[in-house]
Amino acid sequence: MNQWFRYVLLLCLAMAGSAWAADIAEAVKARLSSPQVLRGQFEQQKSVVGFKKPLLSSGEFLLWRGHGVLWQTRKPFESSLVVSPDKLSAESGQASYQLESSREPALQAMNELLFALLAGDVAVLQKRFLTDGGLRGKDAWVLALTPREPGLARVFKRVILEGERHVKLVRLEEANGDSSLIRFDKLVEASAPTAEEAKRLGR
Amino acid sequence: MAAKRLSLWLAAVWAVVVLGTVLHQVQFWRAARLNTDVLALLPENEQAPAVSAATRKLAEQSQRQIVLLVGASDWSQTRRAAQLVQARLATQPALLQPAAVDASRLDAAVAFYQPWRDRLLTQEQLRSLASAPSEQWASTALMRLYQPAAGPQFGDRLADPLGLWQDWWAERAAESPARPRDGLLWLQGKGQQWALLNYQFQGAAFAVTGEAPLAELLQSSRAELAAQGMGEIRLLAAGVPLHAEAAAAQANREMSTIGWGSLLAVLLLVWLTFRSLRPIVLVGLSLLIGCGVALSVTAMLFGQVHLLTLVFGASLVGVAEDYGFHYFAARQGRPANERWQVLRGLLPGMALALLTSVVAYMALGLAPFPGLRQMAVFSVAGLLAAFLTVVCWFPLFDRGALPQTAFARYLANSLTRWPRWQPNRKGWVLALILLVVLGVGLSRLQSRDDLRQLQGSPASLMAEQMEVGRLLGMPSPGQFYLVAGDSPEQLLQREEGLKARLDGLVRDGVLPGYRAVSDWLPSLATQQRAALLTAQAERHALAAIAEQTGEQPARPLQAPQALDPATWLASPAASIIAAQWLGELDGKHYSVLMLRGLSPTMLPALDKAATDLPGVRWVDKTAEISSLLARYRLGMSWLLLAGYVAVFVALAWRFRLAAWRALLPTLLGSLLVLALLGLLGVPLQLFNVLALVLLLGMGVDYGIFLLEHPGDGTAWLAVALAGVSTLLSFGLLAFSATPALQAFGLTMLLGELLIWLLTPCFRPGEALAREQVEAAPVSQLATANNQP
Repeated sequence: MNQWFRYVLLLCLAMAGSAWAADIAEAVKARLSSPQVLRGQFEQQKSVVGFKKPLLSSGEFLLWRGHGVLWQTRKPFESSLVVSPDKLSAESGQASYQLESSREPALQAMNELLFALLAGDVAVLQKRFLTDGGLRGKDAWVLALTPREPGLARVFKRVILEGERHVKLVRLEEANGDSSLIRFDKLVEASAPTAEEAKRLGR
Repeated sequence: MAAKRLSLWLAAVWAVVVLGTVLHQVQFWRAARLNTDVLALLPENEQAPAVSAATRKLAEQSQRQIVLLVGASDWSQTRRAAQLVQARLATQPALLQPAAVDASRLDAAVAFYQPWRDRLLTQEQLRSLASAPSEQWASTALMRLYQPAAGPQFGDRLADPLGLWQDWWAERAAESPARPRDGLLWLQGKGQQWALLNYQFQGAAFAVTGEAPLAELLQSSRAELAAQGMGEIRLLAAGVPLHAEAAAAQANREMSTIGWGSLLAVLLLVWLTFRSLRPIVLVGLSLLIGCGVALSVTAMLFGQVHLLTLVFGASLVGVAEDYGFHYFAARQGRPANERWQVLRGLLPGMALALLTSVVAYMALGLAPFPGLRQMAVFSVAGLLAAFLTVVCWFPLFDRGALPQTAFARYLANSLTRWPRWQPNRKGWVLALILLVVLGVGLSRLQSRDDLRQLQGSPASLMAEQMEVGRLLGMPSPGQFYLVAGDSPEQLLQREEGLKARLDGLVRDGVLPGYRAVSDWLPSLATQQRAALLTAQAERHALAAIAEQTGEQPARPLQAPQALDPATWLASPAASIIAAQWLGELDGKHYSVLMLRGLSPTMLPALDKAATDLPGVRWVDKTAEISSLLARYRLGMSWLLLAGYVAVFVALAWRFRLAAWRALLPTLLGSLLVLALLGLLGVPLQLFNVLALVLLLGMGVDYGIFLLEHPGDGTAWLAVALAGVSTLLSFGLLAFSATPALQAFGLTMLLGELLIWLLTPCFRPGEALAREQVEAAPVSQLATANNQP
């Protein structure tokens, strides 16, 4: 075991966890539905430090419980992001990027986290974030998440989730000052993905 | 009268030497500087001092590290178990301290590299930046910009629009499988979730007390896990201190069995033969002084004493007793006032016997193995001290009467009942059978020259060490590339040339990975190239972003100069890989490139990869040591052959046509040992051959005694006693857990036994007169020993 080793392993996504229960979390969980597959459209507004105007993009997405996330941007240009437990791949025009869990063991946890954010999986989120929030009206709720571990705090300053039966809005405040506001729309539950979607997720 | 004064004077001088030894011994054991490192037994590589320097530096680095892996099928259980183990180990802060994982040091490294970010590219990035079209960089930048959030950021997004800096760090991280999780280091492997715990051993060097505090601590941790209902949790431990401790404890055990065992046997023989307390005390004293002086001389000459020297040295007891035996065998049945004459009569014979043994032990030291030289020095010093104790002190303290015992007479008479080989039909049939056994056995004899001969670590500890190494993908300390250059720059460039070769092997799946200094400090040339490529690609990227968004992002300033070795070495970042940077040695600069996840099948490809690269040398320590052992096995075999020829010439000069009777038992015994090894499937190695060299030195003596005094039972008594005690002490060595010592002991045991049994079979037939034996007092040994 060497010095370099102790340095570098601090780099990657850290995962925190401890059994922590709050009434609010239970209440939010009770209002959420957890389908096998969830499809929908998204609209993203991203503010970048140094940019005057936010960047707008939109497209569709798919969540498949236990298998991963498809994130297909349609505007302003075609771009796709596929995150599954053993692979992350992104494609846009001539560019492509791939990461495999055999090379990056933290990928599995990264996938789990991403899925939990989009699906509002409170149990998983509580392991990694300090959770605060409240209920709004009959169906709505809001959660504010602050990372527990320094590793994750390198990525996010804070995350805010809003929703009803499903997550309708995610606000990611990044550690470097950038922030993204993502709204979801036209959400449809399904029991299984299409063959083409399943193939893209490597099943 | 003058002779008596001289002997009194000698006794006083010897007393001073013994007193000095006692003082030195007290000091020595208070702070025993014992060496447990197996590599210390091996010769340094004289042709390539840099290789030795590299091996030393790599070894130093891991000297105190202990790695623990706690594994369960489920992470929450792993965490509970890891906390339990941590708490348990925290009870012994004087023994183990956790090696801190400090986030601020990472931040310091990131901050240090930041100004040179544009000059740090992975091999893959260098390739793709040089070859991919500029549109690709535009696409990549836009894709990254519009993605929700991805991975940890170092600084703001626009400073690294292509994520090059981020990916460079990701590749550095990919060198290890462990990741932080819940305040622990987590990794997966073999279907288990593991927590990695790093510790630093705090204790002093290991003393040979037989205690094993580290092993006990681990054992109690396991017991506590089981007591808490976590018996199925796996706790793996690896690290040099664990092996060192095991070696020390084992050496203690073996020294006890071999040392005390043979001492007990020798004293028992003395008791049976002489039935008097005085010989027991005096022979015991000579052995004690022998061992003490041996240890002191070795410690003074070598600075440190190796554990295996002590284990081997314990067998000295069985050889050093000879002089005491000779004295008392000759003294038996003679009045006390003749004891000075007895000694004077014995002196030439004993001196000659000492000389032959010393020569035989010195032959062991011919091989340039520091370990063997230590053992040779130890044995020679011990024999000499035992000899001097007999000569200087025995007549002084041995004042009473010493009558001849029935046991001594019985032993002496047993010679006449011993079977004798005769050239008749029965004799030739026996010879034929023997030849067949020899032929079959010798034809099956194989050799193996393996570093593992020297490795006596318990199998369970070795298995754990290997499992931990596999799970962590730790680089092997035994195989690496040594890269040399006239300047640091040339060195780094050569390393990069080698890496280009290895990347091919990594892509083909032959090699899992490597670790090189130039990963952390690229050559100036590469940094220059990287800076140009990065600037070009990032200009395209920022232009595409500007076009898409209408914003005007600007490229941040970079360091104007490359990162040079001096700046890097002075930084906190260098400690990451400092052990592989050897620095300057005789005007050349050296570094080590280490390989991860090695297996034996990869070695030929790796050897070949470096053949035509200037300044790059493939070092396979394991193979190097094996070939060294093989070379010396052959060399010592030739020496042994030459020894036989020389001994035969000497015997022929003394005994003419009967010379074969003295040499044949030793030759036959040695050949039979080899045949037995062949039949048992035990491979021949250097240490068997070394034992055969020692056997020649000791075995021929028996034949000489019996030829000098045909039919004389008193000579046989001396031979029998010496043979049995030598047999016992080396035989006990055969129980050592160190394969090398075991092979040595086994060869000595079988060889001594066979030679001892065979020698009287070839005694001359002319003088079998039983009456003569009975008429001659056993005290004739004195004269017998005058002319060995």
